[in-house]
Amino acid sequence: MLGKGLKRKLEQEEENGVMKMASPQEVSPTCYWLQRQTVLNLSLLKLHSHPGHTDPGLARRVLITNTLRHIQDELRGEEGVLLPPSVPRQQPPSSPVIKDSFSAALAEIESLCPTVGITALFSTEAARSLTSDQNMPDITSSTDLINSGESRNTDPDLSEMHSSVDPPIALSDSTQSALSHTPSFLADFSLDDFLFTEIDNILFDNTPCSSSLSGTSGTSRVISMVTDDLVKTLTGYGNGGTSQSALPSNQTFKLDLNELDHIMEVLVGS
Amino acid sequence: MWSSCWTYSLNLSSVPGDGDSQSRWCLSQVKGAVDDDVAEADIISAVEFNHSGELLATGDRGGRIVIFQQEQESKNLPQCHAEYNVYSTFQSHEPEFDYLKSLEIEEKINKIRWLPQKNAAHFLLSTNDKTIKLWKISERDKRPEGYNLKEEDGRYRHPSSLTTLRVPVFQPMDLMVEASPRRVYANAHTYHINSISVNSDNETYLSADDLRINLWHLDFTDRSFNIVDIKPANMEELTEVITASEFHPLQCNTFVYGSSKGSVRLCDMRASALCDQHSKLFEEPEDPSTRSFFSEIISSISDVKFSHSGRYMMTRDYLTLKIWDLHMESRPVEIYQVHGYLRSKLCSLYENDCIFDKFECCWRGDDSEVMTGSYNNFFRMFDRDAQRDATLEATWENGSPGCPLKTWRVSAGSRRKRNEIGVDCLDFSRKILYTSWHPQDNIVALATVNNLYIFQEKLN
Repeated sequence: MLGKGLKRKLEQEEENGVMKMASPQEVSPTCYWLQRQTVLNLSLLKLHSHPGHTDPGLARRVLITNTLRHIQDELRGEEGVLLPPSVPRQQPPSSPVIKDSFSAALAEIESLCPTVGITALFSTEAARSLTSDQNMPDITSSTDLINSGESRNTDPDLSEMHSSVDPPIALSDSTQSALSHTPSFLADFSLDDFLFTEIDNILFDNTPCSSSLSGTSGTSRVISMVTDDLVKTLTGYGNGGTSQSALPSNQTFKLDLNELDHIMEVLVGS
Repeated sequence: MWSSCWTYSLNLSSVPGDGDSQSRWCLSQVKGAVDDDVAEADIISAVEFNHSGELLATGDRGGRIVIFQQEQESKNLPQCHAEYNVYSTFQSHEPEFDYLKSLEIEEKINKIRWLPQKNAAHFLLSTNDKTIKLWKISERDKRPEGYNLKEEDGRYRHPSSLTTLRVPVFQPMDLMVEASPRRVYANAHTYHINSISVNSDNETYLSADDLRINLWHLDFTDRSFNIVDIKPANMEELTEVITASEFHPLQCNTFVYGSSKGSVRLCDMRASALCDQHSKLFEEPEDPSTRSFFSEIISSISDVKFSHSGRYMMTRDYLTLKIWDLHMESRPVEIYQVHGYLRSKLCSLYENDCIFDKFECCWRGDDSEVMTGSYNNFFRMFDRDAQRDATLEATWENGSPGCPLKTWRVSAGSRRKRNEIGVDCLDFSRKILYTSWHPQDNIVALATVNNLYIFQEKLN
């Protein structure tokens, strides 16, 4: 099971002595963000892992999916305020601190690094797709791939539900098509989710007990192709000021940016 | 297999106690293997007393049912109730394979419900994920002997060898308890059956899966009526499932079902054939200060039980027990915290899947107390009248026979005193999910992972 990344996150929480699962107003924004990310990753993990030969319960799947949806809705709400880095940052008066610090940090990094082709492109795609119409003609093609790749164990009705919460595979399809069009799954899934869950899925695929994500060799190859680039980019971030190509050492960074580096380190496992 | 390796029953002599750290309950018996190495098939998954309390049925993951019977002879001891001993063991369900979906159907017994006794035989309904069976358990203590055409060993005699005729007579024999399947109610559920409930009319019963509830007549296996269907046209829109269901104990037209979102719906079958429109909706508004990512999961109803009087209903969700007055839908009349100290541990419990554990709950015969299980082999007793609660442990290791159980406290952080344990030291692999209370006497039966425990209340 994916141990290192997740466990470290939880230990981090305990070391900080933070109360778990407090409401957003009571905990520091980074901690809440971390908690939310943990729950998001756990939920995706649980949905993708097939326990055995028996049908995993519908009740459990519905509860996990609802938890995931709740987090996605929250992220989507924040994503709407999060501006793409190519646009000069404005200060919406009502936005809470967490959005400012993270968007500011991300904007700073991306403005400094010319090699961030993919992430910049994705963020603009994400921003555009949020405003675009959301009927989903692309689901059928992605769904077909998923259905062929996924085990035949699921009820036809349920496999549709799987595909709607199966973003990593769908996203990799989109990247394969040279980012020419915006698949609708991106609208459901924010930039943050894609970045971090792709990495987690890579780590997951490399462990012995990997799930059906790696069952289809085609999709896993695509995933590793795409995310190799991302991993390189993000390990650049994760190394903080040590990697010359990513972060010039003569820049001064805010405290928030250091926090971001720390988080990246944790997630990438460097 | 159930090797009742040992069982000890206790003479409940009066023992001076510590006062309020002692409960009235004593361990009576423990059934099952003693060693820690437990086969998956031996894990108990259902516990149920019958309507008289004389019989106690348990089901396990291997699809077997073991019925214990209370001995009549030791009633002469005024201080303790009689012992339970194995009465019958049989294989109720076998593993099956669904060829269409390439999935195994587990033989694990999800629920056992007894029918009220009508004659000398006992009847119970048992169910796994897909199929319900009606079992008849009957005793045979005599057999006919003295046939004319058959020898005692079964060989047939030639009619020409007969010289006289005799009438066969019944001769006593060793008691034999036979279990035979009388009905098999199959192929009515697409999803996993989570509840069965016998109606007070003694003719019908309901079975509930994640999305549908069906009404059966006990005599007919080839048809059942669908009375609740919450499956959406588009499965992607599914956000709520049925988690538990029960018939009202007195009104044969009324039943309730609980959902994964923490609401309970009461339906009246007289209103319409399909009871998708509820008659009452019992739902407590969420407390915004305790909102977390897991609010919905912990609000999911794991069990719903009517009181014996039929006036109240109890629901169990992950952290609490709630008692509802059927006349008031807006909020429960009583809320009991089962293990509130787990609220800060929900993320870990989500990771190790414990947050999905479905605990049962049960009423005392006179409805004055309720109980439910917890982790670390603790179980919780709530006295509704005295507004007192107790945490007891199901263990045979500590404590001497005849000694009343000591109550426990769970504290934040690490262990400090005797009979106090820190929340970080709790063993989440040892959990008590299944409990049953004797309908008349104060005897409770509960299942830990390994064993069946029977506790009795001190009578003096």
